[in-house]
Amino acid sequence: MLEIYISYCLKNPISSIAVFITLLPITLILIKKAYIDPSFKLLLFYLIVKLIIDILMFQSAARHRNNIILFNLGIPINYAMLSGMFYFKFSSRVFKRGLIASMIGFLIFTLWDILNSNAEISDLHNHRAVLFAKTVEGVLIITLILLFFYEIIKSLKIPNLLTFPFFWVCSGLLLYYSSFIFIAPVLHYTATWNNLVDLGITETIPTIFEIVCAMFISVGIYHFSARDYAK
Amino acid sequence: MQNSEELKWALLVASLAMLTMAFCLISFVMYYQKRRFEEEKRISDIEKTYNRLLLDTALNSEETERRRIAQDLHDDIGTMLSLTKLSLNQLGKIVGSTGNEKEDQIMKKSQSLVEETIIHVRRITRDLVPTTLERFGLIEAIEEFIHKLEEDNNLAITFQANTEDFPRQGQKLELTLYRIMQELVNNAIKHASCSQIDIRLEINDDVIGLKVIDNGVGFDPEKIKENNLAGLGLLGIESRLAIVDGTVQYEKPKMGGSCAYAQIPMVPVSDSKPEPLHPFRRERVNI
Repeated sequence: MLEIYISYCLKNPISSIAVFITLLPITLILIKKAYIDPSFKLLLFYLIVKLIIDILMFQSAARHRNNIILFNLGIPINYAMLSGMFYFKFSSRVFKRGLIASMIGFLIFTLWDILNSNAEISDLHNHRAVLFAKTVEGVLIITLILLFFYEIIKSLKIPNLLTFPFFWVCSGLLLYYSSFIFIAPVLHYTATWNNLVDLGITETIPTIFEIVCAMFISVGIYHFSARDYAK
Repeated sequence: MQNSEELKWALLVASLAMLTMAFCLISFVMYYQKRRFEEEKRISDIEKTYNRLLLDTALNSEETERRRIAQDLHDDIGTMLSLTKLSLNQLGKIVGSTGNEKEDQIMKKSQSLVEETIIHVRRITRDLVPTTLERFGLIEAIEEFIHKLEEDNNLAITFQANTEDFPRQGQKLELTLYRIMQELVNNAIKHASCSQIDIRLEINDDVIGLKVIDNGVGFDPEKIKENNLAGLGLLGIESRLAIVDGTVQYEKPKMGGSCAYAQIPMVPVSDSKPEPLHPFRRERVNI
């Protein structure tokens, strides 16, 4: 049984690294006690949920089963937790209200997109990736990052961004979602069980940046100091 | 098949373009934030320098005005009073020769009133411009100040300096220390209801320290700062110290009373001896 997974890891080393590298930021959050910050607590939950979904997808992929349903269900959960992080970071009330509205709106939109993209929802074997939701998630997360950057530039409260943990988290997410934003809608047509279209290196780019994102988040958490948190 | 290849390339180019934009955005935010911080720091430095200059000018003007008033008192009113005294002396001789006792009494009273006025004018003039400070230095000026206070009040004031040979400092620094000492002692007399004041002057290679301790009712410096209760006196001390990069700390000793400790960094004094100042030379003072 273990051989199946090892063989899958050897066949898809980048995808496998992308799954297990999530353990690095999770460990760092626990060691550095970064969870005392509500944003990092949500980041910890996001990483744990992401790890669980990724492991389940990894297991399904290794056993040649369609795992797209997990990918689709992960979209609103990931968005809820990532945008929740920004809820604690934004100082503007307008941004906070808009964020809550976007969470509810996006959940409804994703459910509609899953149903719209799959005529027969009970057929998990031929389940297809959502057409718009992942791209919309990317656009929304990038918008939140831009708004956060706008706030930090305007407030001038952080003297050195390179030692500010959340800046690294934002940068990692920005790179990951930028790499995925154009590829996400194409997956609806290419990632099908019976008619798989190989996108080659293009398909690997988001996976590479998923690893980069985890590394950036780890660097950010490394700079987190529980002692100086209150300051 | 060809379409699939084109799609791959289009996606690759679009993703790379998006990533380049993301990289540029992160770099821009870092660069812009750094620049804005530098700019803010520069503006804040300019503001600080400007405020310091303003304060310096205000204090210079105050000293110049004090000198002008002292000069006028000494040259005009002082001279007039001296002449009046001379005239009264002459008139006194004439009245004395007439033998009218009542007129003689009025004359003597007038003479003593004029003499008293002359003494008052001298005292006001000396208070306005600390000539002893300029001529003999800080220790002598403080001793003179204490002597005058002890005459007028029922107070025990002690003064200690950690060196007998206190070197002369820059004019601005000496005047600042003197004015601060004056303000702290006056505060102790006015508000602390104290019976004893201890003044200590300490000098070392880096700083000059001035400590004024009293045994009065004392005050909580933190409360005064929090509630913005610092009067013009305390603010004046801080303003004077800001110009010479000095600091002041207020403490509440356990045995009661209050203690103020002002520290001013030493400034190298030029070797050339300053020209001795005329007490009331009519010129702009550059302290």
